[in-house]
Amino acid sequence: MRKIIYLLLFMVSAIHAQTKMTNVEASLLKEKVKSQAEKTNTISSDFVQYKHLDFLSNDIVTSGNLAFKNPDLVKWEYVKPFVYSVIFKNENLYINDEGKKSDVNLSSSKLFKQLNKLIVSSVKGDMFDEKEFDISYFKQESTSEVHFTPLNKKISKYIKAFHIQFNIQGDVVEIKMIEPSDDYTRIVFSNRIINTPLSDAVFAH
Amino acid sequence: MRYLLISLLFLLASCASYQQRNNFEVLEISDKVITNPYFSDVAKDYVYKANIVFYDKSFGGLFIVKKIEENHHRVVFTTEMGAKIFDFSFHYNEFKVNYILDEMDKKILLNILEKDFRVLVREKEKTITKSIKNNSELLETKIVSKKYYYLFNKGILNKIARTNNGKEKVVFLFSKISDASAENIKILHNNIKLSINLKSI
Repeated sequence: MRKIIYLLLFMVSAIHAQTKMTNVEASLLKEKVKSQAEKTNTISSDFVQYKHLDFLSNDIVTSGNLAFKNPDLVKWEYVKPFVYSVIFKNENLYINDEGKKSDVNLSSSKLFKQLNKLIVSSVKGDMFDEKEFDISYFKQESTSEVHFTPLNKKISKYIKAFHIQFNIQGDVVEIKMIEPSDDYTRIVFSNRIINTPLSDAVFAH
Repeated sequence: MRYLLISLLFLLASCASYQQRNNFEVLEISDKVITNPYFSDVAKDYVYKANIVFYDKSFGGLFIVKKIEENHHRVVFTTEMGAKIFDFSFHYNEFKVNYILDEMDKKILLNILEKDFRVLVREKEKTITKSIKNNSELLETKIVSKKYYYLFNKGILNKIARTNNGKEKVVFLFSKISDASAENIKILHNNIKLSINLKSI
């Protein structure tokens, strides 16, 4: 009997591991992330990406590094198990696929521009735009998690929700992009260094 | 008269079967079953780095195949960053589009992809003819009314060709083969500028 009670208690606490924040807690977090984002000129970080497709036995794991420079330069580079990088610069994507270079101009597609902007802002975590998202705030042991559900139907066709995890300093530690099918891409950051000098050469193509 | 003979000969030569064109000797009709082992393990996730070249455009991404059960496969293509481009199911001869990016939702393109990937993941087929040359075996079959030839060298499947009037229209090339899996796969079209290159990761 005691075991059952422990088990029940454990289950209850497991369910409650992620609890909704109060309005005060939510606005404190929002302020913290916003002020952190404002102070951020560069970000350099490693990442591991887990692509989850429901029918697969294991997630597809790829890894690499990220470089960000204010206001909107992003280089996303995979190193394992293949070498591939994409630079978001102005209204272009510059792709280097194992040495094969190509570029995509996004200026003709409003949707791609929007998606592009989302990727850039999700790197900093500053997506608190209530006109664009339905936002809910949760707290876990040492991290906070915010769920951003796009209100724009054109975007929600591709991404049902962004779940962003923040550490105590208000830095992004994990991004999860959930598709309408519930398959998702989870990106976990590590060795995240803020405001280390990054030369423009990093974003050259 | 001579012209007639020459043109008749020419006509005959141009009607040569795929086996004849490739100097294979056709044997008696075989009841052998053709086996393509490359996507046959339900326990395995088959993940390839893909490069698709369509006319002057080149797309990169991840090409994923999963055998769900006998005669049932999922075939998914995503960008490197994980966004889905298409997601198909093949169940016996049935083809289902679970998802496709609006920009790619074109009937002509879907037909091509359906035909290509059906053959790619198809595991067992009845043989119509069998022909041989040295250490190679060429097995003929029909998949959804199209003629295909499976080329085995020393028992290993290296190539599948879809033919029309004895000529190759689409070829599937398998290389770097070990443990019933092909590290490199190429799907090349002769009548349209489309090639799909897959490299196992």
